[in-house]
Amino acid sequence: MTAADFAISLDMVNRHYQEPNRNRYESKYFWEELYRLISAAGFRAIEVPYEPVWQFGGRSGVPFTRYCVNAKYGDTARYRSFLANNGIDEIAGVTFDPNLFMRNDNLDFYFGATGHFAGEALDHAADLGAGYFAVSPTPYCGRVRHYHPNLDEASFIARTRELLASLAEQAERADIRLAVRNEYWSMLRGDRLFDMLDGLPGSVRIDADVASLQIGGTDPVVFIQDHFDRIGSVHLTDTSFVDDDETWKTANPEFPARRPTQVYRDLGEGSVNLKAVYASLQQLGYSGAITCSCRQTRDHVRALLRMRAYIKNQLAAAH
Amino acid sequence: MSNIRYANMCHWKAIPYRQIDNFRDFYYEDKSNSAYYSDWDRILRYQSALGFEGIELAPWDMADLLPLFGSPTEFTAFAKERGIEVIGMFHGAHAAHDASHFDEVVQAGREAVDTIVEFGGIHMNTCPTSNYFGTGPLSREQVRQCAKALNEVGRYATDHGIMVGLHNEFFCAINRDNHREFIDLTDPGLVHYCVDTAQVAIMGEDLVTFYEDYHERICTFHLKDTGTPNLPDEVRYSQDPEITDDGTRWFWEPGEGVLDLEGLYRLLKKHEFKGWMSIEYDGTPDLLASMALTRYYLDNTLRPVYD
Repeated sequence: MTAADFAISLDMVNRHYQEPNRNRYESKYFWEELYRLISAAGFRAIEVPYEPVWQFGGRSGVPFTRYCVNAKYGDTARYRSFLANNGIDEIAGVTFDPNLFMRNDNLDFYFGATGHFAGEALDHAADLGAGYFAVSPTPYCGRVRHYHPNLDEASFIARTRELLASLAEQAERADIRLAVRNEYWSMLRGDRLFDMLDGLPGSVRIDADVASLQIGGTDPVVFIQDHFDRIGSVHLTDTSFVDDDETWKTANPEFPARRPTQVYRDLGEGSVNLKAVYASLQQLGYSGAITCSCRQTRDHVRALLRMRAYIKNQLAAAH
Repeated sequence: MSNIRYANMCHWKAIPYRQIDNFRDFYYEDKSNSAYYSDWDRILRYQSALGFEGIELAPWDMADLLPLFGSPTEFTAFAKERGIEVIGMFHGAHAAHDASHFDEVVQAGREAVDTIVEFGGIHMNTCPTSNYFGTGPLSREQVRQCAKALNEVGRYATDHGIMVGLHNEFFCAINRDNHREFIDLTDPGLVHYCVDTAQVAIMGEDLVTFYEDYHERICTFHLKDTGTPNLPDEVRYSQDPEITDDGTRWFWEPGEGVLDLEGLYRLLKKHEFKGWMSIEYDGTPDLLASMALTRYYLDNTLRPVYD
């Protein structure tokens, strides 16, 4: 894996939160122009966040579900062909986050909807030819506590393990790598993620999101060195956020309530030692996917160019 | 006191913060105007400054809004401190045409009513059923089933001090051919009507004639303009037509389209309409600019006709 092969996540588009001009993110034309801009910025691989919210309410212009892709392109093959004709010849991975379904006091609803749509997302990832499927194992810890103040945590974790085990079987059949995301806000934060992995098939790997590791108090370089054999995908992310008042326990930990700040910064704008992370991956002979993510950028076009400039002038130049 | 009070339908996407106290520091982090659209405190202050005293919430915002504030009553108190009342919440009676979904539709409607009561609102503007694409055309029996479900929801709402206002979308399975039949099948004592001025015009109704014919049923409005009334069937009945592939907008700020809104206001005066009117800005790239533009149009064109 060299810097030329880095993928870029479409999560750089701020589609869920308010900002001027965000209405265009729901139209097909926006994404079709974005692919060309991504290609012009030197990326040929993308990551797709699978977000069922877009198929509810007629927002199928956002190409983040099977329904949306079929509505706008007919089928996955035609979508891939469109991407290839616009400079994107690989979908490196697909991500899935279950927060959408943690919205009431009914855990059967949560596990039912999450299981259904995560399975659909994995099938879609396979059809897209993606190399990995990175799943957030739980919603935000604080969001779970909001809707389930008296949660039976052991039961919740057991049902989560069951769900992940089912996804692992499906991923093996589809020949796609299932990676569980490490996230500082998760109910499976820190070592608890390893406890979960120990009860899952050996094919299940960890997705190492380096900014999230740092926020959770783990040195990402040390983490990569210590757990190299279990890493299935890597997200290059940046941050300057220090969680010194347990923001990870709040209902929306990506937006620290007591001290508003931009948790995820554009690559090179935060304090994560990304050069050391990349050097470590190189030294260890990492051959899996590396995906750049600027999930809270204030300007996705600027972020694209910032990323390319950082990769060219800092990461690649150092190796 | 004015006969019409103005609110905004909440078309802000998720607002991640209640209140940003470190506003200057937050701004300096990346020096972008995102800082201006990230907390409810400022959103509500913009609205208050522009003379919109009410806000109509959206059900799809609840999953984020409620954890942020803790409960509907906390949000209502927060808004009230900034001069804003919660007037209600939108609702979609998905699959109401399908008898096998009757219990589910009524239960969802009752839960939405309960939520509005907690917010202290009075309006539940309700889309009658699913989209036309994949559902329509409805049979006469399915239209009757829709009315039956809405009557049942309306009964519960009325008992709890909430007005259900039918809110037709131009892409709904209730559409040009059965819209009036459907309204007439609902019980006027339990089910009212919210005129979305652009939606009914795009569907093919003449706005002024429609209001004249149904003014006794009208409990509130979604006021917006359009440049494309009377869209053909192949657009209204297509898959997901609300958001277009090429960025074409169906909805515009009042005064920026072609609707006879002054004619409507003359009828409001004739029939002495009293109540809330929500302005809708769906499709705008800049909600704050749209709000200000609308306030100017209201004050200089519509309110001189009827206030």
